[in-house]
Order: sequence, then structure tokens, then C-alpha cells
Amino acid sequence: MSEETKPAPAPAEKAAAPAATAGEAPATPPKPTVAKPGSKQTLTKPIAETGNLWMTRRNFLSRAGWVAFFSFVGTMLLGSLRYMFPRVLFEPSTVFKAGFPTDYPVGAVSTKWVKDYRTWIVRNDKGFYAIFAQCTHLGCTPRWLEAEGKFKCPCHGSGFTMEAINFEGPAPRPLERVQIALAEDGQLLIDTSIRFREELGQWSNASAFLNYA
Amino acid sequence: MENLKNILSNADNVPIVGLLFIMVFFVWLWWREASRTDKRIANGEWEQIRAEGQDKIHVWPYLTRNEFLCSLAIMILLTVWSVGLDAPLEEPANPSRTPNPSKAPWYFLGLQEMLVYFDPWIAGVVLPTIIIVGLMAIPYIDKNPKGNGYYTYQERKFAIITFLFGFLVLWLSLIILGTFLRGPGWNFFAPWELWDTHKVVAMVNVDLHEALGIRSKLGANIFGAIIVGAYFSLAFVYYFWKKDGELIKQLGVARYGVLAFLFLTMMALPIKMILRIFFNIKYIWVTPWFNV
Amino acid sequence: MQAVFDRIKESVLKTQVWKSIFRHDYEDSQRNRLLQVLDNIWLHLHPTKLPRHGAYLRFTWCMGGITFLLFLVTAVTGVLLMFYYRPTAEYAFADMKYLQFDVPFGMFLRNMHRWAAHGMVIAVWLHMFRVFLTGSYKPPREFNWVVGVILLTTTLLLSFTGYLLPWDQLSIWAVTVGTNMARATPLLGHEGPFGPELGMKPDNDVRFMLLGGTQVGPPTLLRFYVLHCIFLPLFLAVFIAVHFWRVRKDGGISGPL
Repeated sequence: MSEETKPAPAPAEKAAAPAATAGEAPATPPKPTVAKPGSKQTLTKPIAETGNLWMTRRNFLSRAGWVAFFSFVGTMLLGSLRYMFPRVLFEPSTVFKAGFPTDYPVGAVSTKWVKDYRTWIVRNDKGFYAIFAQCTHLGCTPRWLEAEGKFKCPCHGSGFTMEAINFEGPAPRPLERVQIALAEDGQLLIDTSIRFREELGQWSNASAFLNYA
Repeated sequence: MENLKNILSNADNVPIVGLLFIMVFFVWLWWREASRTDKRIANGEWEQIRAEGQDKIHVWPYLTRNEFLCSLAIMILLTVWSVGLDAPLEEPANPSRTPNPSKAPWYFLGLQEMLVYFDPWIAGVVLPTIIIVGLMAIPYIDKNPKGNGYYTYQERKFAIITFLFGFLVLWLSLIILGTFLRGPGWNFFAPWELWDTHKVVAMVNVDLHEALGIRSKLGANIFGAIIVGAYFSLAFVYYFWKKDGELIKQLGVARYGVLAFLFLTMMALPIKMILRIFFNIKYIWVTPWFNV
Repeated sequence: MQAVFDRIKESVLKTQVWKSIFRHDYEDSQRNRLLQVLDNIWLHLHPTKLPRHGAYLRFTWCMGGITFLLFLVTAVTGVLLMFYYRPTAEYAFADMKYLQFDVPFGMFLRNMHRWAAHGMVIAVWLHMFRVFLTGSYKPPREFNWVVGVILLTTTLLLSFTGYLLPWDQLSIWAVTVGTNMARATPLLGHEGPFGPELGMKPDNDVRFMLLGGTQVGPPTLLRFYVLHCIFLPLFLAVFIAVHFWRVRKDGGISGPL
């Protein structure tokens, strides 16, 4: 079946044969070309000669070889990519108890959980909400400025009201609120992995605000 | 003044202060060489310049000697610098306490400054990518055969002005702005001002559509798309206006398209800066998914 | 006295060992000037002859060479620093203090590493500036300019990954600000346009891959360390080789044609 056993039309074409088949094989799918005397296309034999309907054995093997090669490389690449995403993270828990509601005066922002859990707890006359202390611009930790009554990000100067609405600087959207509830023992229970975004209307979710009179 | 002294004496800022002088020197050097060559070309001495370029000398000792002396000078400078000035080391890392201001390494301050004017996905991802790809594209869109291998200004004015604008004005001066004039809260401070953490800056930024009285969200979306689209279609306007001009003929449609896109994207930065600083415009185009 | 000196010199330069290493004598002749370059593995990066302006500082500014020199300095000092530095959150900062206060010449090496890195950033910019101003990216050197842009970007990335390693307030916040932009990557970041729509979350997006966590933490330190000490320097070295090789293949220093 190999080219060499066939009577080649001309010596020059015979010499070019292996190179051309190797180069063309993957690029030209099942297309047994009809022999045109004198053209390079004669390198692929007509159907009648090979007895194969759509692909010579050599073509098939070479194509299978390339498919195997690229699947192997591709799988290795995907595997390495997946390798970069570990299953277990050694990061602090996102759920914590924040003490009893009576610990918090009405109308004040509590900064005592910022250091450990990056969360402010705010109490207003209707109840509680918790704000995640991460600027929506580039993720710096803003500060609560008591005197000015606002959260201010030191990185690029974004400012947020006590409600967490952005009103100055480059921040594109309000700070995120996190889930707040009452635990069975009556303490506040906060989960910072569940976030509520104002612009998606999520602040009206039941667990974004804790009614407490 | 106290504050300026602090910034200047910050060890990590030494390269920037140095860069100020180095850049002035090298721009001057370029200008001297370029105007000399340009004058000679104007005098019709081109063949002579070419002949000088063919004149060959031995690498050993002429080039190796210069390389050796250069290395020595740099190593001496580096040693003196390393003996005299200690690399900064601050308090241990503490993820819960953000220092104010938080600055990126000095060579990225241009990008950090861009973040004031564009959302992070543009300033932090799209624009850097366009800068890198755009730089790579330069040899393929600059079809001017002149000015290859010698300093000149007259023979490639557009290329040089554009590059100088991008490199000196948009990249280096933003770095210097970020180093010297940005203080706590990324607020603007004059060099003689003290960095006051509690400086209150009234920022009354509005989106362009609000400034023009468009209220509905859909209207804002369409309006912004039209403005941004119109800006980039300036490329078409120029194309049909100067279709038979030398530039477009030399480049062809595809190259012209790439060049126009890169150029307009580059110019979008100063335009957005002016809109923000002088007109308090925040966004041009507001959509539910992204803002421009 | 002079005679003794000459005798010693003679006997060293004429030995078989010397000759087997250097292969030619030192008389200043046309032939030896060529051999000096050709017979030396380091110098044969150069051609034996070059256009006159190629040796002028006012033409080349020597910035490419200075960039390479500073890369070598950072590589050597960096390897030395690795003997004392452990890339884990408990030890990194303490090791920095140890290097600075206890290890002989530790502070000096750290300074030299840092200032050479800063210098490399400046030199690589100036090199690009010079190549642009002389139009040296024009045919046939287009591709080498592209390689140069890759090298420039890699230099900045090297500097940036190194910035985190001292594990102090300066480094952690500079890197936090820098990597937070990756949140906003279109499609691939959890805060970028169309990112959430494609299912990107803080723990599966492109920033997570960079940091090895949802915030800059101990895994980030390790990742940046590996990038800074192994991956990026090797990547840079490979492209430096391509860059230098192309300089020769594209006809050496550019000049008016």
C-alpha cells in the first residue's frame, strides 16, 4: 500500500511524495483525489487503486496518531490547569456568632468584627444588617470614619454611606451585605460567604436584614 | 514641604526621581542626534550618511571595551546605591489593616491612576492587554520605510509624536502623578500640602446620561452605546475624508483599521481624564453588565 | 625585575594548559582581534566586526546590555538570597529580618537585588525607547521587537511577583491592589463583565488561580515564589536567547540602509 511500491508517474514526484503526504494528511479530510497526471495531486492514489473508500490506511494511522498526540497534550494541559485549583482551602470559617443583639447600640456601626471577619454590624431603629468590609472597587478594606459618618476606602478614595451605598470615588456599586440571622441561643449569626448586592435587588432578601425591635 | 521631603526620601521612590532626570537627558540626546541627521538629510548628504553606516570596525577592542566600561560604571553605581540606601521593610503583613494610601509598585502606578477613570475591567485588564498587543503591533502597522536605523524626527513625525505622547505623557507622567500627588484616599495633594487622612473631597460625579437628563435605564444604555460607537466611528469618518491621502494608501484598509482602533483607544484615556477632572463625568455608557 | 616578570608571563602564556584553553596568542594583530571574539563562547554572541555607530554610546545608549547585566545581577543575588529565605507565611518576614540584621552582607545583597530590579525596569523601558526612536523595529527586525515586548512584560511580572516575597505591609497591599484587578477580568473573573453569568465565583476564577485562595494569603506567597524564582526567570532566559540570536540573524545592529 505504500507509495514506494506503486509505479510512480515521474521520479521528481516520487521524491516529493512522503513529505507531501505527511503535510497534507491531517489537513485534508476524506477526499480521495482523482489522479491528474503531472500535478502534485497524483500523490494520493485513486480509490480504485487503494481499494479504500475514503482514506488510505497510512492516512488513517497518521491521523489517529495526531489525534492521540493532541489529546494527550490537551489532557495534560487541562490537568495542569485543574491542578492549580485545590479542593480544600485553609481559610478562616465564614460563619461566626457576633454576640447578643443587646450588645449593639441603635444607630451605631460596630467595627469589632472587622479584624477577624471583615464585617461591620450596623443596628438601626428597625434591626440589624451586616456589611462586608471589602471595597467594591479593588477589594481594599475601607474604614469607618465615625466623625464623617461614612466608610472610606484608603486605596482610591471611594466613600460609602452608613447604608453601604457608594456616593463618592471610583467604586462602581454599593458594598455587599452578608447574611445575618439569630442563632438558637439568641446570638447574632453571620455568614460572610452569602452576599447580597443592592444593584441586583438582593438587599430585600429575608436574610439580608434582621428585624429586631 | 515636609511631605515632599518624605516622598523624596522614600527609598522605593529613588528610581522615579532618577527617572525624571534620565528621561530629560535621553530625550535631549535623541533630539540632538535627530536634528543633526535631519539637517544633513536636508542638505542632501543622505548618500554620505549611508556610507558612514557601512563603515565597519572590530568588535574587539572597540565594542567590548565600551561594554566593559559600561558594566563597570553600572556596577559601581549599583554598589554605592546598595551600600547607601536600604530596601524598605515595613511591619509584617496584616490582611485586616489597609495602609492609607495603598500604592502599587511604582512601575504600575500609571495603571493604578487609570483605575480612577475607568472600571477595573478596562483599566486593569483590557487596557494593559491593548498596550502590550499594541506595542507588539507597531512594526506591522508602521509601513514608513524611512528612519530605519538612525535618529530622525522629520521623516516619521506621526510615529514619534504618538509614541512620545503615549510613553512620556500617558505612562511616565501618570507614574509621577501617582507617586508625588496622590495621598491618602487616593486624593489629590499638592507637593507642599500635608497628607491629611481626613481630607474631605466633595465628589459630585454624575454619569453622562444623567448630566444630559436621560432618566430611563434603557435610554442610558442606548445613549451610551451611541456615544461610544460614534467615538470609534471617527475612524470611518477620517477614512472616507482622507481616503486618497498618503497615509491610508500606504497602510491599506486592515492596517489602517488596527492603527485607528489603537490610536482612538489611547486617546480615550486623556479624554476620560478631562471629562472626570473638569466636568465630573463618571461613566459614558452604563449597562447592567458593565460600565464604560 | 622586568626580565623576571616577562619570564613568568612567557612561561604561563606558552604552556600547553593555557594554550588549550585560550588557543591564540595576544599580539595585537588583525587575526587575533577576530579570534578574540570567535574563540570565546561568551564574546561570540557578537559578530567580529560591526558598523562604527554600533559601538557609540550616543547611538545605542547601551541599554540592552545594561538590562542584561542587571538581569544577571538579580539572578546571582536572588539565588544567594534563596539560601536564607523560606516562602511560608510564618517564616518569610522573620527571614527578612534575619537576612537584614544577622546574616553578614544580607542587607547588602537584598538591597542590590531590589535596586538592580528597579534599574532593570528603567533600563528595559529606555531600551525600548531607543529602539523605537532609531526605527530599529522596522523590517527585517519586526519579530525581534515582538520578542522584546514579551521580555519587557516578563520583566515587569518578575518585579511584581518579587514584590510580595518580603511579606510586609507594603508587599501584601501592593499585591492585593494589583491582583484585585484580575477579579474584573471579562468572562474569566467573578466581578468582570459576563463573569458571574458564566458561573465565575471567588473560588474558581482566574484570580483564584493566581492567588491559590480567595485572598492574598500563604498559598499566594508560595505561588508567587515559584513564579518569581523558577518559572519567570526560565521563561525570560529562553526569550533572551531568542532575542540575542535574532539580533544576529536579522543583520546585527541597525543602521541607515
